[in-house]
Amino acid sequence: MLKESLISEFQKIVGKDNVLTSPEALKAYSYDGTTSWVHEPDVVVFPTTTDQVSQIMKIANAEKIPVTPRGGGTNVSGGSVPWQGGIVLAMTRMNKIIKVDKENLTATVEPGVVLQDLTLQLMKDRLFFPPDPQSFLGATLGGIISENAGGPACVKYGVTKQYILGIEVVLPNGEVVHLGGRTLKNVVGYDLLHIFISAEGTLGVITKAELKLNPIPAAKKTLCVVYDDMAVAGEGVFHVLESGVIPDKIEFMDNWVINRIEEMMQLGLPKEADALLLFEVDGIPEAVEKEVEQITEITKKYGAKEVRVAKDADEALAYWKGRSAGFAAVFGKAKTVFAEDVTVPRGNIPKLINRCKELAKKYNVEIVVLGHAGDGNLHPAILTDINNKDHYDRALKAMDEIIESAVEFGGVLSGEHGIGLEKQKFMKKVTEPAVINMMKGIKALIDPNNIMNPGKIWE
Amino acid sequence: MKDLKELKKIEQFADQCMKCGFCSFFCPVYQEERVETSVARGKNYLVKQILAGKQEWTPVMADIIGRCLLCKRCAANCPAKTQIDRVVVAARAELVREKGLGAIKNFVFRKVMANRPALGRYARLMQKFQWMMPRTEGKIRHLPDFVKNLGKRNFPELAKTFLRDQVKPVYKPQNGQKPIMRVGFFTGCATDFVYPDFGLKFIDFLTRHGVEVVVPDTQNCCGAAIYFSGDFETGRMLADLNVKAFKDLNVDYIVTTCATCSSTLKDYQKYLPDNEEQKQRYEEFEKKVKDSMEFVIDILKIKPEDFKLKKEFEGKTVTWHDPCHLVRYQNIKDQPRAILKALKGIKYVEMPNADLCCGMGGSFSVYHYDLTKKIAGKKMDGIKATGADIVVTACPGCMINLEDNVLLNKMPQKVHHLLELVE
Ligand SMILES: Cc1cc2nc3c(=O)[nH]c(=O)nc-3n(C[C@H](O)[C@H](O)[C@H](O)COP(=O)(O)OP(=O)(O)OC[C@H]3O[C@@H](n4cnc5c(N)ncnc54)[C@H](O)[C@@H]3O)c2cc1C
Ligand code: SF4
Ligand code: SF4
Repeated sequence: MLKESLISEFQKIVGKDNVLTSPEALKAYSYDGTTSWVHEPDVVVFPTTTDQVSQIMKIANAEKIPVTPRGGGTNVSGGSVPWQGGIVLAMTRMNKIIKVDKENLTATVEPGVVLQDLTLQLMKDRLFFPPDPQSFLGATLGGIISENAGGPACVKYGVTKQYILGIEVVLPNGEVVHLGGRTLKNVVGYDLLHIFISAEGTLGVITKAELKLNPIPAAKKTLCVVYDDMAVAGEGVFHVLESGVIPDKIEFMDNWVINRIEEMMQLGLPKEADALLLFEVDGIPEAVEKEVEQITEITKKYGAKEVRVAKDADEALAYWKGRSAGFAAVFGKAKTVFAEDVTVPRGNIPKLINRCKELAKKYNVEIVVLGHAGDGNLHPAILTDINNKDHYDRALKAMDEIIESAVEFGGVLSGEHGIGLEKQKFMKKVTEPAVINMMKGIKALIDPNNIMNPGKIWE
Repeated sequence: MKDLKELKKIEQFADQCMKCGFCSFFCPVYQEERVETSVARGKNYLVKQILAGKQEWTPVMADIIGRCLLCKRCAANCPAKTQIDRVVVAARAELVREKGLGAIKNFVFRKVMANRPALGRYARLMQKFQWMMPRTEGKIRHLPDFVKNLGKRNFPELAKTFLRDQVKPVYKPQNGQKPIMRVGFFTGCATDFVYPDFGLKFIDFLTRHGVEVVVPDTQNCCGAAIYFSGDFETGRMLADLNVKAFKDLNVDYIVTTCATCSSTLKDYQKYLPDNEEQKQRYEEFEKKVKDSMEFVIDILKIKPEDFKLKKEFEGKTVTWHDPCHLVRYQNIKDQPRAILKALKGIKYVEMPNADLCCGMGGSFSVYHYDLTKKIAGKKMDGIKATGADIVVTACPGCMINLEDNVLLNKMPQKVHHLLELVE
C-alpha cells in the first residue's frame, strides 16, 4: 500500500481522473497478454506530458516505489505486469501523433500511439512504418520499441530497432534525456538508443519517439504454396531467398493450423496439405510480377505440390486474414497454450520443425507450428491444460527441449516477445554470465534504486 | 453462497478471451477513456473474478459493467470470438438479481415500460408537458433542470398523435386481390411515440405490395432497454407477451422498421431463456421475425432498382449509418446499400466508419450522456466527410441520437429511415 499523501501528490500532478486506486482498476492492470502472470499494482497513473512523467519518477525514486510502464498490455512475456506492485504508468493517454514529415520520411509520436492508428494516419500520405507485430490493433509504439517488436515483414524490412531514429526518455531519477536524433546516420559516442530499445521498461520511460518511415510500395502480390512435408516447406524458404528474391513476408503454417483456420473462416485452404508457405512480394509492379514467377518456379523445383497466386487484393487479404487468425485458432483449442518464440538461423528451420515433430511423439503432446518462417522465428505452440498435471508436466518438458534445441541449432529463445517473466529461467540457462553481469551493471548505473519494472529479465 | 445463475450460463464465453487486447481498437468507450476497465478484455476479466469469488458487486463494478454500449464491435472483431455482449448482459442480470434494480429503473421498467397502457399514459403526459422544455430546431427537447438528475440527455419531441391511436387492427392489400402473405407489424416504441407517420407509411408500403398487415394491440415494448439493463424478469414477461400477441394471428412474418426491435425480438432466445420450454418458444418466434431491410429485399424480393425515390429527395446526396443492431446483431448491411446505390435521383456516398456506433446504447446515453456526445462526435466527423444532405439509417433509436447530435453540432443534415425516402 502506498501512503495516502503520495496518492494526492500524484493527483496534483496529473489530475484526479488520471489516478486510479479502486480494487477493480488495480485488478484490470494486473495482467497482460500472458495467461499465467498476474500481480496488482498499488496505483495506476496516466501521465499526459513528459513533465508529468518526470515529476512522478522523482517521487517514485525518492520513495523507492516500483514503476512499471504499460502500453497496450499486449506483450506475451509478463513484461507489463507490475510484479512488485507500486505504480503502473499507463501511457495510453499520451497518444498524439505529433508530426509526419513527408520530406524526411519521419514521424514524431507519443508512446501511447497504437500502431494501427499510426498506420491509418500514414496511409493518407502513402507512407508506412515497416515493423508489423501482429498485435498492431492493441500494441503501442512505447511497447513496440521496448520489446523491439517485429512481424512478418521483417524478412525484407527488419525489426523495430531499424526504424527508431531517436527517443525521449525520462530516467528513473526524473531527468529527461534525448537519445539518437532525427538523422539516418549518427555515431556520436556509444549507441545508447539501442540499449533502451528492447529494455522492456527496465531503464526508463519512453515519452516520445522519432520514427523512420518508408513509402508504400506501388504493387503487392501474395502466393500460397502447398507442401506434402513440412520440412520441405522449411527448405523452400531458403531456396527462394538464395535465388535472390527477397519477399517482404514468408509465413509458415502446419496442417493442424490450416484446418483450424478453415473451420473458422472457410478460405478454401488445402486441408490435406502438411504445411503451407504464404509469400508476399512488394515493390515496382514489373518487378513484383517477375518475382512471383521466380518464386513459383523455385518452389515447384524444390518439392512444392501446388502454387496458388492470389488473383486479386481480396483473395490476398483472405490469406493474410487467415494467417492472422492463426494464433486465435491455437489459443481457442486448449486451456493452456505455451506459445514459443524461438528463432533459428533460416537454414535450420527444417531441423527445428523435425525436432518439434519428434518431441510431440516423445512427450505425447500436441505441438503445432505457425510462424514467421522468413526470419526463422517459428512459433511452435504446445497445447496443454494447466489443470491436468501429468499432461502439463510433459508439455513443460517438451517446451524446455524445444528451447534447448533452438539454441543447439544456433538460435535464440526469444525472437520478438522478450523475456519479461515468462522466459527468465531460460535466459539464465542460455546466456553467458558475463553478459548478464554487463546488463546488471548498466541497470545499476541508470537505475540505482531498482525501481523501473523490477523483477524482470535476468532476475 | 451465491448461485450466480445468470453468469454460470455464460462462463464458457468469458473463458474464451485470451487477453490479446485487440478489442481496444474497436471499443468506442475505450477509444474515449483509454482505460482497461472500459474495454471488453477488462470487463471480461472482472466478470471472471466475480465467478471465481474474488470480486464483489461494488458500485465501481456496477459502473464498469454499465459502461458498455452493447455495440458488439469488440465481439465482431475478436479473433477468439468472445461474445462480450453476452457476458455484459448476464453480468447486469446478475447484478440486478443481487442488488435489485434501483428505484428509478424499477419504476420506469416495471411500472411504466412493461405495461402498454401505462406507457401510453406516461407518454401522453410527457406529450402534454413537453412544451415546457426548451426546444431545439428538430425533434429534440432539452429536459428541464428539475428532471435532469434522471439523466442529462435531450429528449425527442413526442408526436401529437401516437401510432397506437391511429392504427387499424388489419389492413388488406390495396389492389383488392388475395394477399401474397400475411404479416404482423411490430411497431416499437420510437415509431409509436415519435415517428407515427412513418409507421403508417410503412403499412401503406406493404399493402401496396400485396401484403396483408395485422397490428395487434396486445404487443408491448420489445424490452431491449429492459433486458439489456439486466432486468430479465421484466424482459421475460415482455418477451412472453409479445410472443403471445402474434401467436394466433396466423402470420407468415413479424416485421418491424426498428433495427433494435427486430434484433431484440430475434435474440430473446439467446439472452433470456431460463428453461428448455422457454428457449424453444423463443426460437420458434425468432424464425418469423424480420427487419424491414431484409424483408423488402429477401422476402418481398423487390429489386433494388425498382424502388422509386420520393420527389422531395430528388438531387440529394445521401449516406448510410449502420445501426449496431442491424449490422452486427443481424448481419444486415448489403440490403440497404443495394437500395441506396440503385435508387435513381440521389447520389450515394459511403461514410468512413459507417458501422461505428452512434453512441446511443439505450440507457447508456441516459447515464453517460457526455460519453455519448463524444462517441457521436466521431460519427458526426464521418458524416461531415461525405458532404451528404441526408443521413439514412433503419433504426429510430439511432435516428433520435443522430438528430440530437446533428443539431448539437449545428450541422445541416436531415436524418431519415431509408424507407421514408421511397414511394
Ligand atoms: C495476439 C498477439 C500477437 C502478437 N504478435 C506479435 C508479433 O507478431 N511480433 C511481436 O514482436 N510481438 C507480438 N506480440 C507481442 C506484443 O504485442 C508486443 O510485444 C508489443 O510490442 C507490446 O506492445 P504494448 O504496447 O502492448 O506493450 P505492453 O505489453 O504494455 O508493454 C511491453 C513492455 O514494454 C514496456 N513499455 C511499454 N510502454 C513503455 C514506455 N512508454 N516506456 C518504457 N517502457 C514501456 C512495458 O513495461 C513492458 O515491459 C503479440 C501479442 C499478441 C497478444
Ligand atoms: S479481442 Fe477478444 S480475445 Fe482479445 S482481449 Fe478482446 S475479448 Fe479477449
Ligand atoms: S460492446 Fe461495444 S462498448 Fe461494449 S465493450 Fe464491446 S466494443 Fe465496447
